Amino acid sequence: MFDKKLLEEVLATAMRSGADFAEIYAERTRNNSIRFVDGKIDRINDNFLSGVGIRAFMGTRTIYASTTDISREGLLRCAASVSDAMGEGKAQISIVLTPQKVVDIHPVKIDPSSVETKRKGDILKQACFSAKEYNEAISQVQGTLADVDHSIMVANSEGLLVEDRHVRTRIAVNAVASDGNENQSGSCSPGRGMGLEMFEIFDPSEIGIHAAKQAMVNLGAGYCKAGQMTVAIENGFGGVIFHEACGHSLEATQVGVGMSEMCGKLGQKIANEKITAIDDGTIPNAWGSVNIDDEGNPTQRNVLIENGVLKKYMIDRLGSRRMGMPMTGNSRRQGYTFEPTSRMTNTFIDNGPDKNEDIISSIEYGLYAKEMGGGSVNPLTGAFNFAVREGYMIRNGKICEAVRGASLIGTGSQILQDIDMVGQNLATGQGVCGSSSGSVPTDVGQPLIRVKSITVGGR
Amino acid sequence: MDFEKIKKCLFDAANEAGIEEYEIFYTADSSISAETLKDEVSAFSCGVCAGISFRCIVDGRIGMASSELFTEDEMKNLVFRAISNAKNIESDDPAIIFKGSEKYERTSMPEFTMPDAAKIKNNALELQKMTYAESEYVTEGTQSCVFAGSSTMRLMNSHGLELSNDYGIHGAYVQAVVNRDGEAEDEFELKGEIELEALSELPKKAVNNALSKLGASKIPSGKYDVIFSAKQTRSLLAVFSSAFSARSAQLGLSLLAGKEGQRIAADCITIVDDPMREGCMVQTSFDGEGVATYKKTVVEKGILNTLLYDMTTAKKAGVESTANGQRSNYSEAVSIAPYSFYILGGEKTLEQMCMGVSDGVYITAMKGLHAGADAVTGDFSIDSEGFRIRDGKICEAVKSFTVAGNFFEMMKNIEAVSSELSFGLPSGFTVLGAPDILVRKMSVAGE
Repeated sequence: MFDKKLLEEVLATAMRSGADFAEIYAERTRNNSIRFVDGKIDRINDNFLSGVGIRAFMGTRTIYASTTDISREGLLRCAASVSDAMGEGKAQISIVLTPQKVVDIHPVKIDPSSVETKRKGDILKQACFSAKEYNEAISQVQGTLADVDHSIMVANSEGLLVEDRHVRTRIAVNAVASDGNENQSGSCSPGRGMGLEMFEIFDPSEIGIHAAKQAMVNLGAGYCKAGQMTVAIENGFGGVIFHEACGHSLEATQVGVGMSEMCGKLGQKIANEKITAIDDGTIPNAWGSVNIDDEGNPTQRNVLIENGVLKKYMIDRLGSRRMGMPMTGNSRRQGYTFEPTSRMTNTFIDNGPDKNEDIISSIEYGLYAKEMGGGSVNPLTGAFNFAVREGYMIRNGKICEAVRGASLIGTGSQILQDIDMVGQNLATGQGVCGSSSGSVPTDVGQPLIRVKSITVGGR
Repeated sequence: MDFEKIKKCLFDAANEAGIEEYEIFYTADSSISAETLKDEVSAFSCGVCAGISFRCIVDGRIGMASSELFTEDEMKNLVFRAISNAKNIESDDPAIIFKGSEKYERTSMPEFTMPDAAKIKNNALELQKMTYAESEYVTEGTQSCVFAGSSTMRLMNSHGLELSNDYGIHGAYVQAVVNRDGEAEDEFELKGEIELEALSELPKKAVNNALSKLGASKIPSGKYDVIFSAKQTRSLLAVFSSAFSARSAQLGLSLLAGKEGQRIAADCITIVDDPMREGCMVQTSFDGEGVATYKKTVVEKGILNTLLYDMTTAKKAGVESTANGQRSNYSEAVSIAPYSFYILGGEKTLEQMCMGVSDGVYITAMKGLHAGADAVTGDFSIDSEGFRIRDGKICEAVKSFTVAGNFFEMMKNIEAVSSELSFGLPSGFTVLGAPDILVRKMSVAGE
């Protein structure tokens, strides 16, 4: 994206007041999205992001500056603001960058920029009309089809110079069912780290029908009763439970500053022995995959918990300095305005020893959370909450009537002990995770699991 | 490229393409912040970000494209993309590039100067020291941060309308972590000030609130009288304010649709929307479509006076825009949002309000509202923390329970609002404000 000599000069400028490391991150991102509502395409967003972030370290002190002025003067001014904020001095630094090639393990077959807007609109409409036509009670359908073409460059004072491009596509359909008195909604929003070939895997009609069905189930459902109960959480987006309840507490962002209940627990048994949990940024074309992280390191498959024992944290460069442990390819950021930090990629609980039918039949009275919604967690205490988007009561080992308005609350360390059955139908669901370095695409995943006791919020 | 050149480039390209009605919207923001950990400034950051969007009408439909790359080629490309996008729009919504209001009121924002790096860093460090000095239990992970940002926005169109606004915000927060005998808690407190005198109470508040949560017990499930703290009432308002959007209403996504003139809340509820609230750091005299903004009472003693409209929804409804078609950033399309949107305070203090509660909960934290509350249905079930109220007094801390209900039903059942109205920090031009509110017999799920 930039002349090598200029980058070397910018890095040297950023370091002239005593920094021991400097890095330039440049981004060019094309964001396109088409919105459907009320039977028609009503909005098209089309934005081009272009900017640079420069970061310097002195030990574990960091300085970060970003700019949209990518002229030579703009970059040097940005670098100077970094060195000025770091301290005084005029050290002579010489940097030699060595360009490196990235192995692309997430190839794109149908480049979104090569496809006409009309054709993308047709895919979206197919999904949305399928939802609308599913039932007369479906009163409104909203949908978006978004594609992102994200090119990055990372250069640092250790000589690294690397560029990568990441394309991702996502469709989201939200259906509202109404009986005249009240509204209930359902949604479906798959995404992949690929181009429009995504729709060779997903039939747009089925996406729409999934959303409409869920809205209808919720419309016919009564409120979930509150209380402590056994809960079976289905695969796919159900993995948000691990993402929120445990994943965030394993990020160096938290662990490196002592803000996690998982601090100092490496090698200890923190979960039921049926649990093996993995963060893997290398799964080809998965939603949360990237070839290199936002510090230029190749992503990895990191086994975080193996048979209940904590094996690894997710660590970025700053976390590595704070914790004295190697980087794990987990440094991510939304874009150039954000300083990167340790984040998840595709994080999931692996298949376990239990048969799915045994999990349901083992529950005398409890909740079957067929689809989870979002949630949040306080990494310090591990306290979390999740919304249940589609849920059913279980009685005498059988899935019974649908219930709505349920949420699950607990703490990470407790639920890891309380997951006592792990099934065998591992699948992932797509999310957008928000943290200090912005919003990044992440996959969550798990097979069907059983939590022997958890607080279910309802009324 | 300077701004005049950019403007000329875009206007020329539009004229060349034969486009008659178009608009450009430019924003430039700069920000600065310092964060501390232990006894040093651990992170300092600053940024400048500028971008521009071009909107135009083609065959009665509106198209838009935006960019942060200011080159001549990209500006021409922007016009081309906006035209192409307009051609792919199917909606028959009225497409309007506004000629301008007759009169624009003057904003009265407090004077703002961007603080320098030294001041930001110094104040963050001082705040951190004050936080550690509050209690021996304050521990690692405690952070103090001071931040500031300034913005410029310019809107101009083919009708000759030219509007601009400059504003800045600043603030500080303390994230206090306390650990007593192995039990950790934290509390986040934020204030829209950066001078140390104005922040003197912030560390104490954060630390005391964190300490007060230690040893929290569980609460038996049941129906309780609930007081939502002002901060938590604001959080609820943040989720459900979208129901006041005329767009949501017209799409059948708001239960307030068709309720203008009707009772939607208890007598004690009056909600005001004010784009130029005195003392507010972000004010604007025009919205993202160039319409002059004004103060309005949205809910008056429980009766819904008006929804919030932009030009498109207003035209569809046959009313005037309420100038709520906001855009706070160049890349944003027009979207209906309130300004300073607040529930007026009542007469009783929080203390007096508690006196009327024999067995209840004072809710001071709610988590995961983005997932546990549904603006379309009004349903919410939220992981909460707070304090037990017994015989009219705020007593021991309680945690790990959910409070559930329906926002629209709850609005009608609010029994009282306290006199202590407070405001949050701005998001775009939206600043939410609320007092504490009392609602009887809410569902609480604990143990």
